[in-house]
Amino acid sequence: MDWNVIIVNLPFLMKGLWMSIKLAVLVICFAFPIACVMAVGRISNRLWIRYPSAIFVNIMRSNPLILIVFWFFFLVPILTGRPVGDFASVMIGFVVFFAAYFTEIIRSGIQSVGRNQIQAGLSTGLSYFQTMRMIVLPQALRNMIPALITECVIVFQGTTIAYVVGLREFLNSTFLVTERTLRPAELYIFAAIVYFIVCFAGSLLARQLEKRKVIT
Amino acid sequence: MSNLLVDVRELNLWYGKYKALDNINTSFTAGKCVVICGPSGSGKSSLLRCVNRLEEFQEGDVLFEGQSLRECTNIASLRSEIGMVFQHFELYPHMSILDNITLAPRYAKKKSKPDAEAHAYVLMERVGITDQALKYPAELSGGQQQRAAIARALALEPKLMLFDEPTSALDPEMIVEVLRVMRDLAMEGMAMLVVTHEMGFAREVSDEIIFMDEGKIIERKNTEDFFSNPNSKRVQDFLDRILVKI
Repeated sequence: MDWNVIIVNLPFLMKGLWMSIKLAVLVICFAFPIACVMAVGRISNRLWIRYPSAIFVNIMRSNPLILIVFWFFFLVPILTGRPVGDFASVMIGFVVFFAAYFTEIIRSGIQSVGRNQIQAGLSTGLSYFQTMRMIVLPQALRNMIPALITECVIVFQGTTIAYVVGLREFLNSTFLVTERTLRPAELYIFAAIVYFIVCFAGSLLARQLEKRKVIT
Repeated sequence: MSNLLVDVRELNLWYGKYKALDNINTSFTAGKCVVICGPSGSGKSSLLRCVNRLEEFQEGDVLFEGQSLRECTNIASLRSEIGMVFQHFELYPHMSILDNITLAPRYAKKKSKPDAEAHAYVLMERVGITDQALKYPAELSGGQQQRAAIARALALEPKLMLFDEPTSALDPEMIVEVLRVMRDLAMEGMAMLVVTHEMGFAREVSDEIIFMDEGKIIERKNTEDFFSNPNSKRVQDFLDRILVKI
């Protein structure tokens, strides 16, 4: 074992890790607000709002992430005659894919708050919007924080998919260094440790918050 | 009929194909306490919830102070004139009791925070939970929670109070403390509609009793007559079953 390859290539690897983190954070930042809107749509009484969001969510959840990235990387350029680019196609693919999963988490979070809480709010003369904002969403958010954090960890792990379109995220960077140095064992062990640290920290946080939820 | 508060006209309500309310015609006047009783599934709660349109009825209308609920475009402002108390309290678990009580006055009635809080303390005193003001609902007993919920409804300074089986979820020793608060309210002249199985309360406190079955009003009488000479066999059967005789 020659761990020196890691030290020598650390700047390059860290650039890859930075790309992974940037990707994950951006995806979460875009997917979450979209998901909030869609989640409210999913539970709407109006069918013309509910059905489109339901169809979107179900299509996205019934396809592998890699295929959705391929759509934007390969298919959209054929239709529009213009390449989307590796970063953009990964971003768009990830955002629509994970928005669907976040939608379901938020929907179940909202539904975990009893219908009667809504009725209680409405009965005191608060508007539907006020009731949602001040009574339902604060409770829903508290209930869904562990699931949201777990999903964020999955987004971070999912960024490895960006590798298929040649984006230099962390795993791809590791692969490139392996090609050059012919030291796969050290590098992939290092990659595993890094992913483990980031994701396990996330799971710990989720578990901690879950415990707190039980007490209150 | 100058003090007519609620006028229910040919009200019909369906849940899917199930008819929950069948052509209800009735009215309620200010200052009176009316108890609605009947077997479960008879439409008592549905009727109650039509009065503030928490239930969207399909046919007929309910007039609150002459204002049609069907045509009402600002239902929120109308609801803020009517307090409602639920079977399972429905306090907001993420807020202190004080915040529970002041939320609607502040955001629906646009009261200032100090005004709303001052009024909240008066109400908490009245229902006997002043010590619990800064606690969260989960820290209170069931009876205290229900009294807090009554204070929350009273904070609207309502013209009518709706009670939907307010003691059904309570342990026996806590029922009395809630019923006492309700009795005091009735004695102060609050208009009240109470869905309950507490026939003792009905007999002692209410002015009138409505008996419902299968979505219809079977009988409506003043309280004394209801117990002493019920017209219909169904009411008699119901009373025999519910007034436990040993």
